Amino acid sequence: MRLTLRNIFKSFGEKEVLKGISFSAESGRAFGLLGRNGAGKTTTIRILMDVFGADAGEVLLDGKPLNYKELRIGYLPEERGLYPKKKIIDQLTYFAELNGMKRQDAVKSVDGWLKRLGMSEHRNKRLDTLSKGNQQKIQLVTALAHNPQIVILDEPFSGLDPVNAMLLKDVVKEEIAKGKIVLFSSHQMNYIEEFCDRIAILNDGVAAIEGDIHEIKRNYVRDKLVVRSEAAEQIRRDLGDCCSAREDGGLLIQMASADDKREMMQRLAGQYDLDEIKVFEPSLNDIFVEYAGDQAKEAAV
Amino acid sequence: MRQFGTIFKFELKSYLKNKIFVGVTVFLVAVIAVVMFFPSFIGGGAGEITVDSEDENVSAESSGTEGLMLFSAEGVDGAERYRTAFAEAFADYEVGETEDGEERIKERVASGEAECAFVLHSPTSYTYYVDNLSMYDANTEIADTVLGNMYQVQAMIEGGIPPEQVSEVLGVQIQGETENLGKDQMQNFFYTYIMIFALYMVILLYGQMVATNVATEKSSRAMELLITSAKPVSMMFGKVLSSCLAGFLQLVAVFGSAILFYNLNKAQWGDNYIIASLFDMPVSLLVYMLVFFVLGFLMYAFMFGAVGSTASKLEDINTSVMPITLLFVAGFIVVIFSMSGGDVDSLLMKICSYVPFTSPMAMFTRIAMSTVPAYAVAISIAILVVSVVAVGVLSAKIYRVGVLLYGTTPKLGGILKAIRKA
Repeated sequence: MRLTLRNIFKSFGEKEVLKGISFSAESGRAFGLLGRNGAGKTTTIRILMDVFGADAGEVLLDGKPLNYKELRIGYLPEERGLYPKKKIIDQLTYFAELNGMKRQDAVKSVDGWLKRLGMSEHRNKRLDTLSKGNQQKIQLVTALAHNPQIVILDEPFSGLDPVNAMLLKDVVKEEIAKGKIVLFSSHQMNYIEEFCDRIAILNDGVAAIEGDIHEIKRNYVRDKLVVRSEAAEQIRRDLGDCCSAREDGGLLIQMASADDKREMMQRLAGQYDLDEIKVFEPSLNDIFVEYAGDQAKEAAV
Repeated sequence: MRQFGTIFKFELKSYLKNKIFVGVTVFLVAVIAVVMFFPSFIGGGAGEITVDSEDENVSAESSGTEGLMLFSAEGVDGAERYRTAFAEAFADYEVGETEDGEERIKERVASGEAECAFVLHSPTSYTYYVDNLSMYDANTEIADTVLGNMYQVQAMIEGGIPPEQVSEVLGVQIQGETENLGKDQMQNFFYTYIMIFALYMVILLYGQMVATNVATEKSSRAMELLITSAKPVSMMFGKVLSSCLAGFLQLVAVFGSAILFYNLNKAQWGDNYIIASLFDMPVSLLVYMLVFFVLGFLMYAFMFGAVGSTASKLEDINTSVMPITLLFVAGFIVVIFSMSGGDVDSLLMKICSYVPFTSPMAMFTRIAMSTVPAYAVAISIAILVVSVVAVGVLSAKIYRVGVLLYGTTPKLGGILKAIRKA
């Protein structure tokens, strides 16, 4: 299956939130939907889930418009919340039924998931008697119990301790392995890098960049050098503005173009006593800051 | 449709499992049971105790207990005659003649030594002194009648009519008979009143519950998941219809137990007029009650639900629902005042019985207490049905827009604009 969003526009009143978003995700692989707060991620997800329609553009599954009657989507919203005063089994079954399951199947599936997440003992308790992390696990069941073809997880790891995070990672990997389309939205880039093959970074209502995460890294313009040296201070003084200090103590040197690499490396190696010199390989974090940051926004304007 | 069924069942179950809901219902049924079995408890099956006789007991006991009434007729001809007449007319009081001056009389009344005082200035004028004039104080009316009668008698005798003839003239008996071709408002008044009041309570209480229910889901953010799992129309109709059924079940429990207990104790209640008239309501009226209850309930529950969806916090609910509550209370007041005034067919009531927001109460009252042509009832119900569907669909649309809006409660205009866009 291939989920495609093509040229989606959406405004609320005067405010244009989405200005032509496009990306596509495949089954059996996780897709990372990134962007700063207010970039339009939630709006995109809501359009995808048919909470409201787009002003323009299409949402396609294998080239055809989504049939919401048959398609099952699982959603873990960033704003968590269920019925605090109701029994866990009751509300989980309710949500599974709302998502199209028959009652018996719903109960069976919910019980299966509670067992998988080690929550069976809480089955008949009220939700508000549980700790925050456990409530989070309960919420996860609402996203998965009805065996959805598309799973949307918005900040799934927030509030989980390392053990539970590990459990969730396993669950997510299983879901991906089952051939589902998994849409991830998170600000924790390490998780995105761990799971996602493809990403889209939303900025100011458009997908600033979209594609295979390795390709994006590979295509990243190789016009920066990372240098480690005892003479860092000296290098900074000599090179001036094009040289900046990195958090790890190294230096980042911006070249005029990627073609200058050879010359620059030779020059630096000849002039100074270097411990290390290499072309800068961006982390996802760096890419995110570059494409979702304010500079990118200004550049777009 | 299946979603609607799921939501309907879930919501209904949460009503029926709600301890307060069950508790209130059981409490009401228990109160009714106590009231209905009351005569059996105290009468031991003698079957002769009625509210009327209790009333007599009460008035007999209270005779002479009203306290001291001062009477002064200084300087008026035949003062003694007036004193005797007042003593007769105010049998409840101990009428004591006094020669105190007005200032002293005032003091005695103000201090509570005497209940009240009549100071006659002439055969046709007096001052009535009382400390705290009660709403039900009819003393001046009695005094007016007494003095008026005495004046008329005096005048006729002075005019040369023999005293026997005078009493004949004044005491003439008029023969009259009433043949009611429509409905007896007196008899219908009590049960109509009770039904209107039940309608009022249930709609207001459940409307609030629907609004709170929606706002709770929104504030607990369960809405984020609900709105992506179910259609707003299913949500709205599921919620409202389940609360309607819950309210209906509660009414059935309360009224049903009342009827059951009454029938068990029918003999004990004997010929008590009020109680008998209550349980003597025609079946057709119960059907109308059902129709107007359901339609009126849905009408308001939809509006309450829509308003609930626009509030971000539970605290906002009370102010948000204010306009709807006011509209409803206004309708209720019009109906109750018309009922008490006895004029349920006034122009205002006629208008109200077609306006969908007030017709459930107004038209029902008119059907119960007056004679309304069938076509008028049909038109009123038709308008109501169409409005309910329209309000239902509109409220589902408001709901869909409203639940996603957080922060300040949006203005009506803003919501309508958003609906048109959505």
